[in-house]
This record gives sequence, structure tokens and C-alpha cells, in this order.
Amino acid sequence: MIRTSLALAGIGGLAAVFFAVLGGMALATAAGVVAESGLRSSVATQRLGRADVVVSARQSLPRKEDLPVALPERAVLPTSLIARLARFPGVAAATGDVSFPAAVIPDSDVPAVEGDPATAGHGWSSLAFTGSLRAGRAPRDPGEVALRQARLGQEVRLMVGGRPGRYRVTALVDAPGLYVADATATELAGRTSGPRASTVDLVILRLAPGANTEAVAAGLRELLGERYDVATGRFIGDAESPGMAAARELLIVLSGSIGGISLLVVGFVVGGSLSLSVNRQRRDLALLRAAGATPRQVRRTIAIQAAVAATAALAPGLLLGYHLAERFGDLLVSTGALPAALFLVYSPLPALAAVLLLAAVVRISAWAASLRVSRASVPGGLAESRSEPREPSKARTAVGLLLMPASFVLSVIPLLVRTEAAVIGPANAALLAVIGLALAGPQLVRTVTGALADRLPSRISAAAWLAVNNARGYALRTAGAVAAMAMVVTLGLSFVLTQTTIMTAKADEAALGLRGLLAVTADRLGGIPDGLLPDVRGVPGVLGAAPVATTTVLTREFAFGDDPGLQDRTALVLGPDAHGVVDLDVSHGSLRELVGASIAVDEHVGAVGESRELVMGDGATVKARVVATYRRALGFGPLVVSRDLAAGHTTRGLASAILIRPAASGAPDFGDLLARWPGVKATESPPIAQAGAFPAEVVVNLAVLVVLLGYVLVAVANRLVATTTARREEFRALLRLGSTPGQLRRMLRWEAVLTAGAAAGAGVALAAVPLTTLSVSFLGRPWPAGPLWLAPACVLLVAVVVWLATALPARRAYTGSR
Amino acid sequence: MSQTVITLERVTKTYGDVRALGEVTLSFPRGRFVAVMGPSGSGKSTLLNCAAGLDAPTSGSVVIGGVDLGGLSETRRTELRRRHVGFVFQSYNLLPALSVEDNITLPLRLAGMRPDHAWLHELVERVGLRDRLRHRPAELSGGQEQRAAIVRALAARPDVVFADEPTGALDRISAARVLDLLRELVDDLGQTVIMVTHDPVAAARAHQTLVMVDGKVVDVLRAPSADDLAARLAGLNGEPRITRIGDRP
Repeated sequence: MIRTSLALAGIGGLAAVFFAVLGGMALATAAGVVAESGLRSSVATQRLGRADVVVSARQSLPRKEDLPVALPERAVLPTSLIARLARFPGVAAATGDVSFPAAVIPDSDVPAVEGDPATAGHGWSSLAFTGSLRAGRAPRDPGEVALRQARLGQEVRLMVGGRPGRYRVTALVDAPGLYVADATATELAGRTSGPRASTVDLVILRLAPGANTEAVAAGLRELLGERYDVATGRFIGDAESPGMAAARELLIVLSGSIGGISLLVVGFVVGGSLSLSVNRQRRDLALLRAAGATPRQVRRTIAIQAAVAATAALAPGLLLGYHLAERFGDLLVSTGALPAALFLVYSPLPALAAVLLLAAVVRISAWAASLRVSRASVPGGLAESRSEPREPSKARTAVGLLLMPASFVLSVIPLLVRTEAAVIGPANAALLAVIGLALAGPQLVRTVTGALADRLPSRISAAAWLAVNNARGYALRTAGAVAAMAMVVTLGLSFVLTQTTIMTAKADEAALGLRGLLAVTADRLGGIPDGLLPDVRGVPGVLGAAPVATTTVLTREFAFGDDPGLQDRTALVLGPDAHGVVDLDVSHGSLRELVGASIAVDEHVGAVGESRELVMGDGATVKARVVATYRRALGFGPLVVSRDLAAGHTTRGLASAILIRPAASGAPDFGDLLARWPGVKATESPPIAQAGAFPAEVVVNLAVLVVLLGYVLVAVANRLVATTTARREEFRALLRLGSTPGQLRRMLRWEAVLTAGAAAGAGVALAAVPLTTLSVSFLGRPWPAGPLWLAPACVLLVAVVVWLATALPARRAYTGSR
Repeated sequence: MSQTVITLERVTKTYGDVRALGEVTLSFPRGRFVAVMGPSGSGKSTLLNCAAGLDAPTSGSVVIGGVDLGGLSETRRTELRRRHVGFVFQSYNLLPALSVEDNITLPLRLAGMRPDHAWLHELVERVGLRDRLRHRPAELSGGQEQRAAIVRALAARPDVVFADEPTGALDRISAARVLDLLRELVDDLGQTVIMVTHDPVAAARAHQTLVMVDGKVVDVLRAPSADDLAARLAGLNGEPRITRIGDRP
């Protein structure tokens, strides 16, 4: 049975299936690795390498029927917990650990402290878990410090907790970071008063000798319940950096989006290649039926062919998949979407999942592809086996024809909603349109080429005439290639140009709001130090100055397009001094009121005077009053929180920049200021996270799209090669009937032109509708922003692929044979 | 009968070291129905391919319509062929994507010639396909397909029609009808038909039958009966030397 099946299929027919499954395996495995990493990966321990157990507040919030949402800002624990934990059986000692911004001011001869300056400072007692004392004695007074690289007794200028000061080095340590006396650390980290009074970031435990770490940890989990995380071993790295959970969440989201679209495309490609293979064997299969095979046996024959090709593709596909995942991980790290410390997890699990998935896809595709041929009556099958099924199913055409205009309805969304959520309009519109095209394609090709054939001028060359008639006669085959190529064009164009258009619109709007502004930043100091703001205001020519920061806030059904659950979004942190500096185009209320628990929101989202409940980045639920509404929500995001509200809910605690409105006459001279504040920089482009720059997710999605579309292209080229090779008989007949080789070549060229032209035309047209509405809404003009050369590039790419995939195999098929 | 349509002069065709045709010299007169017979591997199809200009002989000359094919390029040969030669194949070779009508006019189209509608109309009437012109080949019976192929072969009013096992894929009744048709074309319209076959019944409908063995014409029979032919063929004992190439089953 297996031998017969394979003999029927032939190597050529199975090659397409093989490559389709190979690519599918690779994509599925890669998505699996990313998903598993999101669920299971842990961060390499950076700092607390010597801790037995680390207790932290939970850095995520559970969501109903969804993955928990990660809290990117450090959630803190009460100091009272330290004593409780110290008394727990098996625990020898419990130490509270805090982190605070700390940096060596860059003008001294001491090298910079390693690690992120926003969290480089710690209390002395943490050292026991991070490293060891090399020389000197512990810092005791507020003016004393321990560093890795300095001289004992040396005076160094530090920026610690946002305050500049001179510190004397009393100890040299073998540990990352900068250490001050515990009491000083508590104060510098802002734990003596204010919203974070009497809290610590982590509680580090040393266990009694002989205590079982896992047993103690289990006991602690029971004691502490869900609000706290108890980390041991390799999970301690997670506790160290709260942003890691968020990064992992990104991985899960990414794998979801990659997996979803990949599955769709893999199904499409595998199904297509199988139905191609079946079509090629229609006559043989009909003969098989004539020879007494039952429909079931015919289906089994095809299932065996598919299984053999798929099995052969398994191992290389898996290898390719793991390799792809690795590349993908590198890409994520290089775009900053993923911290370098977060490793992807490579286990056999994704491979297993990919195998099961692909097996299901192949099985279903094989069954679907064989249904028609296995059911056909024997004489019907034999007759039909020489040409295509005459009529594409009416229902299929009708659904396809409905989907395409339906996709245009989705394109209206951006006209109604001018937020980032509008992306779903064009993105889904393109997808829907492509599916519609794939369904209605055969009938469309038949109708269009039919009309074309009837209107062809009588003097048209025989080659062109044949090409048109072939396209019509093999509408199914032609439409398959056209739809797949059009998909490449549509998805490629609509995805990229949607992103660039929205990006441009956001940047434009943010630029309007920040027009004429200057900024100073102090990234090397871990944030804007305390005394800098009054100093900036004192510079002649400065009209106003406002510190700005960003934080993550979780909201529930806040803006249009939000999921029903909690959703995290980046929010700008501003104070009342932002009034007159940042121009959010306030419609009601005033930014002056941004004091206490107050927020400003997009005018479409709320009204002045309302009270809104928010979850801050550290998981604290707060109520805030809306004091202003504004129009520039696209450029600045739909939510601005007051500095007072954000205080105590962020890891870093310092502003990231000061925005400066200069007086009308010329730019103020910051020369003196910068000289007084080493490590501070002045810039003309205010660094606001919402504006400008491609977010990492977009880059990543783009990369995924490129891989996917490449896969589709290869698959389509594969199918074209297979169909062309299978037309050998037809070419031979044509040559015998008086066609010159030149005419044959010209016929194939015309066919390629028709296919590529139809694909490019349909692809551009289907992408154009949603992109036009998007551009009208976001840019006020009908064409999108971004690399418009992409359209001709896509068309060219499609044309070249079609041409190569037809011309090359055709040459082999007709030269030297008749 | 004085005119000759095709002349072969000491034509040899070898494939590698296998000699499929050995110095065949022949001329086909106009207006005759000639059958070529012989066992498998005797060189019948090679003879047809060379005589029709489908294939270039290894040595010797082929003259079609007064033009020597020797030294002509593939394209020039094709052009000559489509002016002078029509083909009917065992497997019909109708293009499934085209309607019967388009199939019939395809060689004209390839040659860039205008169809002679009156002529085509007459042919279609004669073969009884008038109501089938809009159909696809897949919707026809085998006999109908072969009749369409015959109309196609005649569409350009060629000097000669080559038929390669035209009844090989047909049942007895359809085959008889196709043979009747070929004979009528010769008798009524003065066509020249050269038919390769190994069916003595088919060959018996021809005016003349060439018998080939081992790449040579060994016999020319005038209007033999099917029984004569069967006996003649049965008498050709011995294994044929050419077994690899040159004949279609």
C-alpha cells in the first residue's frame, strides 16, 4: 500500500508537501520555544547569588480567563514581614533588601558602577548575599560607601537616591553595585516616610544549616499565601528584576500572535501543496478506483503520501525551528524587547507540540484534499481527471465575494477611532480580504479571463491567446497562485504601512505637543537628581521646566479596543508645572490641577470631575480624579498620571527628563548648568516613550511577517514549479501541433505576466482600501506614511518569483523532448 | 498520383548506437491513404517522426512540399511543418483548457493564419461535431475527441496528414468510424493520409501498406485484406533488433 501510494505521488508531487511541512514545523517549533520560554524561562541571577530563599511581593496580577498581567514596577513588602520570616522554622536570618538609584558622578577617576544606575544602590547587609568584603570596613555613617573599584579612604562624588554628595570609600567589595549603611539605604530609597515608608523590596533569607531549601520555601508559600512570591535556586533571578515577568509576558503574547498567524499560513500552504499533489494524480487515483479501490482506500493512499512527506520533513524542520527561535531571541534582545539576561528555554516540548500540530494539519489537509477525488464516481473521475473540476463551488465563491466587501467595513474603524486600537481595522481587513480572494479566486479568474478571452483582439499573438485561455481553463490552479502571491503583497503592504502610518501620526502629534521644547536627561545618574530642577529654572531664558517620567499603569476597559480585563499601558507622569510646557491640547480642565491623586485623560475616554480606578505599576489600586482632558491622545497616550500619584509606585522614583520651554528669544545657554552637573545632558528632542521610534514589538512582528511571507513565497514557487513540470505533456502536444519553442516560451511568459499582474493588482487593491481610510483618519491625506517603495518592490518580487518558477522548470520540460 | 508530397532519401536515424531507421528511401504520393505497419520496435514511429519533420534524421534528406528539411532550424522546421503537415495522435492531444473549437483552430493560430470558416464548417459537419464545438475535450467521448483532432489536423489544409495509431485508444465501433472518416477524406477531398498502426484491420482500410522490420521497409502491399496483413505480420519471425526506442506501445 505504501509503495503504491508513493509510486503514484512521485517525488515531484511530494517535494512541495515536504517543503510546506518543513517550513511549518520550523515555524511551529520556533513559536513553541518562545511560548515555553515565556512560561518557564528564568533570568540568570545577577546579584543575589548567595541567597537561599528570596521573598518578594507578587509581580503580577491575576486576570480572569487570561494570563496574569505582569507588574513592571517594583511591588514592595512591609518591613514587619522581616521579623516574621526570621522566626520561621529553618530560617537562620532574614534581611530586608532595597535598591535605589546610585551612580558615580562621571567627572571623578572612579569607574562607573556596573548595572542599571536606577537600581545600583543597596544597604550593606545585602552584601552578605551578593558578594564579599575585600578590604576595609563596613560603611557606618551616612557619608560612607563601599564600591568595587576605588581606593580605600578616597572621596568620591556620587549621585545617590537622586542626591549628589561626597562619600568616603570605607570598603572595597567583590559584588555588583554600591553599598551604604543600612539606615542610609533606607532613607535614600525613600522608605523612611512617604508612600513607601517601612517597606523593603525583597526579603532575603539565609537558612539554618541542614534545613531543606525546598521544604522551607514550601512552608513559606503556605504561610504567606498568594500575595508573595517565594523564590529559590534559579528563580531568584526573577525576584531580582520585576521587569522580567513583563518581558516573559511579552514572549507569551508574541508566541500567541506568531503561532496564530503561522498556523493559518501553515494550514494554507500544506493544504495547498497536498491538493496540488492530489490533483496531479487525479487520473491515477480514478484508475485506482476503477481497479476496485474503495473511496476509503483512495483517501488512505493520499494520507500515506502526506504522512511520508511530512515524516521526512520532521527532523530538519525541528532543527530549523530551534535555530529560528535562537535567531528570534537574538532579535528580541537586540531590539531591547527582551533583557539579555532572560534565556530562551530549549526543551523537547515545543518539538512534540509542533509534531502533533503538524500531524493534525497534514491529516486534515490530506482528508480534505482527497475528499472530492475519492467520492467521484469511477467514470466521472476518469473523465474529470483530465481537466479541472468544471465549476468552483457556488458557496465558496459567494462566501469569498462577501468577505472582500466585509473587509472594507472593517477599514472604516480607523475613521471612527483615532487611537492605536484602530490598527485592528486594517490588519483584520487585509486578512479577511485575502481569505475572501482565496475563496472567490477561481470564479473570479474564470470570469475575468473569460471576459478577457472574448475581448482579445483577433490579431493577438497565439502565445498571449493561449496564456489567457490556459488561465481560464485552469482557473483553480491560476487562482491558487494568484491568491497566495496577492496575500504576500497585501499582508506585507498593509502591515508595514499601517505601522509606519500610525507611528508617523503619533510622532507628528507628539512633536506638535513638544514643539519648541528642549530637554535635559541624566540617564547615567539613574534619573533626574533632586536639585537639578530649580537649577534649570534658574537658567536665563527658561520660561518653564517640568520633570517628566513614564510608568506603566493597568486599566480596565479604559479606551476603545481594550480587552475586558486589565490592560497595561504606558502613561506619562507629569506635575502641575507641566502646564505651559507640554502642550497636550487640553480641552477641559487644566494640567495645573495635576496634584494629589489626579489624572488627565484623552477627551474621548473621560470627563473632568470623574473618578477613575487605576492599578499602578506595582499592583496598588488607586482612585484618581480626572482634572483635565486633552486631544493629543495619539501622541501622548490616553492617560497622564500626576507625579504625586505615581510617587511610591515606581521602581526608579526619579524623573527621566526635564522638559524645558525656552523664552521666545533664542535658546537658553545650558553651558554652566551642564558643567555644574556632570552626567546631565541637554537635548533638543525630548525623550518621550510614546513618541517616535519603532517599538520593539513592531520590529519583532515585522521580522515574523517577513519569515512567514518568505515561507509563503517559497511554497507558492514550489507549487508553480510542480504544476509547470506536470505540464510536460501539454508542452509536447503544443510543439507537435506547430508551436515553435519561442511561442511556447512567450506563452509561459504571458502566463507569468497574467499571474503576477493579477496577484500584484489584487494585492495592492486589497491593501489600498484599509490603508486609505487609515491614512485619511490619521494623517489627513489618502496615502500612507512610510516606505511607499514597498508597493513596487512587492510587485517586482512577486513577478520575479512567478517568472522564475515558471520559466526555469518549463525549459527543462520542453527542451529536447517531443 | 503523379505528384509526391514527401520524399525520403536514404534516411537514417540512430539513437545512441541503436539504429532505428536504416537508409530508408520512400516517396508518398498525393491523395493516397498509406498505412505503415510492423512489429513493435520496427521503426514505424521513427519513420513518421522523420517524414513529418518532427525529428531531424541523422543522415539522408527529407523533402516536404518541395523544401528540403536538412539544415533547417527548429523554428523554421516548425513553420514548414505547420504549413504542410497535420497530425492525429493516439492520445488525441487536445488541450483540456481549450474548447473543441479553439482546439481545432489552435494550429492556425500558432501559424498566424486566418481560419477558413467555410472549410472548417464543412469538416465539422462531416465529423458530426457541430453541437460540440463549445464543449471541453473532457466532455467528449474518445471517438469524438479523435474526430475533433482530425478536424484540427485538416484545418490548415495540409498537404499531408500523419496519423500515429489513431485508433489505438478507441473501441471497435469508434475506431471504425474514425477509419471511415480518414478514408473519406482521401477519397472525397483528395487528402493524403499516412497512418502508423499495428492493427491489421486499420491498415486494411488504406490504399497501400508499408511493412517495416528492423528499421527498413520490407514490403509494400496494395490494398491487402486484414487477413493478408495479419498473416504477413505473423510471418515476420525473429526478435526485432531495435527494442529500446523508436516506437510507442
